[in-house]
Amino acid sequence: MKLFLTILICKLLHFVGKLIGKGSSLPGKIALRLCPDILDRVRLPEYIIAVTGSNGKTSTVEMIAHVLTGNGKSVAWNKEGSNQIEGVTTLVLANSTMTGKVKSDILLIESDERFARYTFKHITPTHYVITNLYRDQLTRNGHPEWVADAISESIKDDTTLILNADDPLVSLFGEGRDNVIWFGADKLDSDTVECTGKYDDGVYCPKCKKFMRYSSRHYAHIGHFKCISCGYERHDTDYAVTSVDLEKGLSVINGKYNISLALKSLYNIYNILAAFTVSSVVGIDDEEIAENLSDYVMKNGRVVNFTIGKRHGTLLTAKHENSISYDQSIKLAASEKGGCDVMFIVDAVSRKYFTSDVSWLWDINFDMLNCENVHKIVLSGKYCNDLAVRFSYTDIPEEKIKIFDDIKKAYDFLNSDREEYIYTITCFSDKNKFLTLL
Amino acid sequence: MKILHLYYDIMNLYGEYANISAMDRILQKSGVECQTDRISIGDNAELSDYAFIYVGSGTEKNQKVVLEDFRKYTVTLKSYIDNGGVILMTGNSFEMLGEKITDASGAEFDGIGITDFTVREQNKIRTTSDAILKADFLDRELVGFINKCSEIFGIDTPMSEVLMGLGNKKDDDREGIRINNLFGTHLTGPILIKNPYFLEYIANLVVSGKADINTKYLGFEKSGYEVTLSELNKRKTTV
Repeated sequence: MKLFLTILICKLLHFVGKLIGKGSSLPGKIALRLCPDILDRVRLPEYIIAVTGSNGKTSTVEMIAHVLTGNGKSVAWNKEGSNQIEGVTTLVLANSTMTGKVKSDILLIESDERFARYTFKHITPTHYVITNLYRDQLTRNGHPEWVADAISESIKDDTTLILNADDPLVSLFGEGRDNVIWFGADKLDSDTVECTGKYDDGVYCPKCKKFMRYSSRHYAHIGHFKCISCGYERHDTDYAVTSVDLEKGLSVINGKYNISLALKSLYNIYNILAAFTVSSVVGIDDEEIAENLSDYVMKNGRVVNFTIGKRHGTLLTAKHENSISYDQSIKLAASEKGGCDVMFIVDAVSRKYFTSDVSWLWDINFDMLNCENVHKIVLSGKYCNDLAVRFSYTDIPEEKIKIFDDIKKAYDFLNSDREEYIYTITCFSDKNKFLTLL
Repeated sequence: MKILHLYYDIMNLYGEYANISAMDRILQKSGVECQTDRISIGDNAELSDYAFIYVGSGTEKNQKVVLEDFRKYTVTLKSYIDNGGVILMTGNSFEMLGEKITDASGAEFDGIGITDFTVREQNKIRTTSDAILKADFLDRELVGFINKCSEIFGIDTPMSEVLMGLGNKKDDDREGIRINNLFGTHLTGPILIKNPYFLEYIANLVVSGKADINTKYLGFEKSGYEVTLSELNKRKTTV
C-alpha cells in the first residue's frame, strides 16, 4: 500500500510539475521521504544503463536513447537532466506501473558523478559507462581524483563497466575486473606526443605516481599512455574510433562504420563512440547504429545557430569551471577557415550556486585563438576584467580584443557590417543572456 | 634575479601556474631582469639562489608523493625562511611544513617539521568556499577560493583573519600561516593574479628595496578584484 501511494503521489507531482514547467527532482525527493527504500522495492528492467563522468554525459545519454528508441526499444531516461538520486527516483516512478514495475525495456540513467554512490546503492546498473574525468567545477568537486574516489564507491562487482580506455584515471576502474568493455580512439592524424594544453594531468601515473609516457595524445591527458615504472597502460579497445577527418566531418568506428558528424569536434566523437558501444552491447545492429548516429543533431540546445543582422553565427555551450570543454569549443572556432569573430561571456559562473571563482580561466588554452582564422575577440559579462587579464597573458595582439562588461554592448558591437562568422562561447548559466538579445 | 616554481607539474591545481607568471611579469615591468625555473620531483634546487619560491596545491595523493621529495629541503628551507627568503605556498602545499598529516584512512605522514602544527584529512566532504581574508600586512582584503578536505591544528601565527570562508580548522576565524616571509594559505588558484595588492606587497619583499615596483599596468587586475570583492561582500556570511 505504501508503495502504491508513493508511486501515485510521485506520478501526480511529476504530472503537475510538467504542466507548470518545474524541475523533475521534487517528486522523487518527496517519494524518498515517504518511502526511503522505494528504489529497492520497484522491479527494474533487464537493462539498466548508467552514464557518468565529467563531460559528455547528457549528450551520450541522448544519443543512446535516440538509437535505442529508433530501433524499437522503449527507454526510460532522464531527459530532463535531473541526475541525482531524487531525479532518478522521479524517472523510475514516473515510468513504472502502480505496482512498481518499470514499464520500459531499458532504464537509462545519467548520473551525477559525485552522487552516483547514493543512487546506485539502491539500483545496480547492468552496464555503467564512465566517459572521462577532467578538472570540472572545482568549487564543488575538489579535483578529479576526489571524484574518482566518489565514483568508485558507486561501482558494484556484477556491473559491466564500459570505460574510456584513453583516460588513465577512468581506466583504473577496470583494474582487476573481467567484466569491462573498452572504448577509445586509435592513433589519429591530429594527435600529438606532447601535451598541448595549459596544464598536464597526465604527467604522473594515477596508479603508482611515477612518470607516464604517451605514444600519442588525442587531447589533454586523453591518449595512449604507459607508465614506465609500474607498467600500467592503455587497455586494448573493443570499440574504437579508427579514423577521423574533422574537415570533412567524418569519423569511422571499428574500421567500417562511417559516421558523418553534425558537430565537428573530437569531443563529440567520443560521445558518439560511447553511444555506439552501448547500443551495440544492447544488441542493436552496428550498421543500424552508425546510420542513426550519422548527422545526429543534439536536441539538448547546447549548439544554437543564430543570426545577428546579416551575420551568421553559432553559440557553443561550454561549461564554466571546465577548461577542457572550453578548449574543445575554442579549437572548433579556431578552425573556421572563412574567418570568424569569437565572443566569450562570463557573467554568472554557475546557474546552480554562487561563486566568484575564475581560476579555471587560467587552465583554458586561449592561445589557440592566436591564428589568422580568428579576427576579433569579444570579452563580456561581469567577469570581463578577469577575461581581459587572462588574455593579456596570451600572445594574442591587443588590438584584436574588445571588452564590454555589458553583454548588450558586446552584442551591438557584433551587429555590424563585418562579414566574419561569429562563435559565441559561454555556459548554460549565461547563454540566455545572449540568446534573448537576438 | 631568479624565481622558482617548485613542483610545477604536480602541485598545480586550477591555474596556479599563473602565480609565478604574475611575479615574473611584475618584476619585468619593474625593470628587474628575472629568470623563472620550474622544477619538480627528483630535481635538486639550491633554494638560496632564489628571490621567490612558489608551491601550489595538489590532490591529497600527490601531496604525499611530493612530501617524500620535499623532505630533502628541510634544512635549506629552514635557513631560507630564517634569512627572510620570500615563499608562497597555496592550498595543501603548506600542510607539508608541519609535524604530521593524518590521512582519511588514519595513516600518518611525517611533515618536514619546520613548525609543529598537525593536519587531519577526511574523505567524506569537500569543504569549499569563496573567501575574503584580512591580513594585517595588507590594507585591502584578500579574495579567492578555498577547496580542501583537511583541518589544521596548532598554528600560532596565521596569515589572515577570515571575514568569509573557512579557517584552518572548523569554527576557526584564522587562516593560513605566516613565518617571516613565508606565506601559506589554503586559497587555491592564481591568487597573485586575483589579488593585485597582495602581488605588489610580495613583489616589494622580493626586490627588497632594490627596485621600485610598477603597478600601473594592473588596471584590469584591480577592476576584476573590485568586482569579485563586491560580489563576495554581497553574500558575506560569518564564519
